[in-house]
Amino acid sequence: MKHTLEMRNIVKRFPGVLANNNVNLTIQAGEIHALLGENGAGKSTLMQILYGFHSMDSGEILIDGETVRLGSPKDAIALGIGMVHQEFMLVRRFSVVENTVLGLREGNGPLLDLRRASEKLKDLSNRHGLALDPAAEVGLLPIGVQQRVEILKLLYRDARLLILDEPTAVLTPREKDQLFGVLRKLREDGRSVVLVTHKLAEIMEIADRVTVMRDGQVVATREIGSTNGQELTRLMVGREVNLRADKSAQKPGAAILQVEELRVRDETGHEKVRGLNLEVHAGEILGIAGVDGNGQSELAEAVMHLREIKSGRVILKGADVTRLSVALHRTLGISYVPADRRHVGSVTEMSVADNAILGLQRKYRRGIFRGIREARESARGLVARFGIRTGGIDFAAGKLSGGNLQKLILGREIMRGSAALVVEHPTRGLDVGAVEAVWGELLRARQEGKAILLISAELEELLNLADRIAVMFEGRIMGVVDAAGASVEEIGLMMAGITAPGAAAAGLGNKEAHRGETL
Amino acid sequence: MAKLFERRLTPSDSPIAIFATTAAAFLTAMLVTAFLFLSYGASPFQAYFALFHEPFGTLRGFGYSLVRTSPLALIALGTIVSWRSGFSYLGFEGCFVIGASATAWLALLTAPGARIGPIPFFLFLPLAIFVGFVAAGLWAGLVGFVRARLGGNEVLISLMSNYVAIFILQYLVSGPMRAPGSLPETRILPRATWLPFILPGTRAHAGILIAIAAAALVWMLLEKMPLGYELIVTGFNAAAARYAGIDVGRRIMLAAFFAGGLGGLAGMVEELGSQHRLMDGINGGVGFVGIVVALLARLNPVAVIPTALLYGGMSVGADAMQRRASIPSSITFILQSLAVLLVLAFDALRYYKINFSVFSRGAPPTATEEASK
Repeated sequence: MKHTLEMRNIVKRFPGVLANNNVNLTIQAGEIHALLGENGAGKSTLMQILYGFHSMDSGEILIDGETVRLGSPKDAIALGIGMVHQEFMLVRRFSVVENTVLGLREGNGPLLDLRRASEKLKDLSNRHGLALDPAAEVGLLPIGVQQRVEILKLLYRDARLLILDEPTAVLTPREKDQLFGVLRKLREDGRSVVLVTHKLAEIMEIADRVTVMRDGQVVATREIGSTNGQELTRLMVGREVNLRADKSAQKPGAAILQVEELRVRDETGHEKVRGLNLEVHAGEILGIAGVDGNGQSELAEAVMHLREIKSGRVILKGADVTRLSVALHRTLGISYVPADRRHVGSVTEMSVADNAILGLQRKYRRGIFRGIREARESARGLVARFGIRTGGIDFAAGKLSGGNLQKLILGREIMRGSAALVVEHPTRGLDVGAVEAVWGELLRARQEGKAILLISAELEELLNLADRIAVMFEGRIMGVVDAAGASVEEIGLMMAGITAPGAAAAGLGNKEAHRGETL
Repeated sequence: MAKLFERRLTPSDSPIAIFATTAAAFLTAMLVTAFLFLSYGASPFQAYFALFHEPFGTLRGFGYSLVRTSPLALIALGTIVSWRSGFSYLGFEGCFVIGASATAWLALLTAPGARIGPIPFFLFLPLAIFVGFVAAGLWAGLVGFVRARLGGNEVLISLMSNYVAIFILQYLVSGPMRAPGSLPETRILPRATWLPFILPGTRAHAGILIAIAAAALVWMLLEKMPLGYELIVTGFNAAAARYAGIDVGRRIMLAAFFAGGLGGLAGMVEELGSQHRLMDGINGGVGFVGIVVALLARLNPVAVIPTALLYGGMSVGADAMQRRASIPSSITFILQSLAVLLVLAFDALRYYKINFSVFSRGAPPTATEEASK
């Protein structure tokens, strides 16, 4: 037995929370071990202890039966433990090889020997099937390839244990398949992989064993062969959850929100939305699928006129609102739930009550004064109606959990009675219970006849909620499918920019082309 | 392992906790300064008695304290409006000077035989408030415009604009507004334009009433009016403000205008209440001390008047202390600066508590150790 890693009785306490309570975890050489749990279950803390980022209050870490000390990430790397963070730790302006040797001493004395490093890197990438050009500038590479750089960085340091934190969150289905191929190769190579995730399907697909955490404790460790998705969900949440939204059949009404030939640029002047058309009807959820960064955020912001519009029109209930102010958009009937709930959707320093009237501050008034009593009344109603768990309406909104904050924002935007609702990544980072609640509210709003534009990177969410799914790629709609009959493969291909029926047949040729472009 | 400082689970932000930490900081500053007194061979008790008795224990001294309080409080209020709106304005020296110049110009116009001629005080005062406020408000609003529309850095621009304003003042008093005579200063303002004295036998003038009214209005604006809500949202988070349909650029320009206007009122009050003539150097750093007062008051308009009174009083007491106990008045400056630093530092006590048990042997285990057993 070699390179077995054991974490014994790990305890870590943060102010107010016991993040890890006597956690035991064993990782064998040559296995893919999934670490499953809701947000706040203690997975990240455990992995950060393993990576030397946090110190533990008590407990022991052993490699091949010997106690090791992990005081910093440097110690971890020296022991062959490496981590790919959810947010990549790459210098965008540096080349692949420069990023790889960052922090190492490669070369002769003070001089950097990038050529030798490049050779080694090429050798590694061939061996592990990670196609890469060492000289490419990292910032220009697609996300999936950047992730490869992160993995190669670890292999360059000869990591035996690779920790990947939510690695598929930003990938297309195809990139995900490629990643899984790489992980399987690493396993054959005798290396271990810890996959931190909350996506059950992926665990069932690739992991050998899975450890489930809840409330800082390990609930169970299972062989994949001897468990199933339902059991894992129950272990993770502590109760039965039915993550199938029951969508009632319903005839959509008139077109409420229309976008015509919209063109929008981002801060750097790149055109992110390039001649986009769509139409959302009353009582309908139109889903926008796509890998992050294909213009979805810019589309949402342009609809609200939070972003300058280069050309095209936004039409609300038949009236052109393209260039009206944000305040007028709100008054005329578009609500917006932004992707970034802590920095855009709410003011975390202010109370729940003050956040409940964000965007409505001119509505709650008495003469020249604020209608503070009415505003507080409505905040209380919001908390009750949407089941927001808070220490009271005077509680700072920033102290709410992600799910409760999202319920507050979503509730506020729904309750203002707009005809159209633009919702961006409503469940990103939320745990299963909160996802259930948010989905329920969106469907309820649909039933009330609102026209909902739902932007999400989670296909599962779109398939469950949307009536139609439009796939966005590089600022355009690649195609619109009925959610009822949609296939994941078809949507996945469109997300990667491959369109048209019979795409499967053309798949092989395109695969080559795709690989060529990432080289 | 027991730690000396243990993080509180939630910061204690009750008014009592805030008052207690502020008071503790102040007392600590006084304790440290007491050693400085000792090095001059003076008794700290006598020195402190002199420092506080003169401004707060004598009528005359209290009058002087009030005179110093009014401009400090008005500038502190301006600081609160701008900083809470996310506009880090530092140009209050300039606003003070512009406000003082504008009101002096108006007052001299009402001198007998001047262009306007004498007008009754109840007409003059609102006019003076308007002129002082608007002149300095536009002065600061210009910086707001540069920040909001052109993306300029208000810290640098407002600091530099102080010099420009002071040069304008120097030009006015040595050029167009200069009184015949040797000194670069204006004529004395007509008696009818002076703010009335409010405490018989003292120099205290009605400026303090203007400052109190301004504090009430600023409180009302920030706490009770939709506009104040929008300013505060803008200050906390401009992205959220834009999202909420608030015109961030306009709000910033408005905050700059209000802040400048309050700074201008400080100049007006000083001019019509105490100086009674315009000359170079009337600002004397009050535009910066006012910012310090706002910080000490934790950007809370309700706390501004008492804080400014304490600060203004101490500078009056410093002079008395120098006379009586022959201790340099600059020690007071040390005391004031220490107080500011310590008030900010003592804030940590609201987030951490001190574990005195680490000093005693056989300290009981902390919660962490308890849990790990």
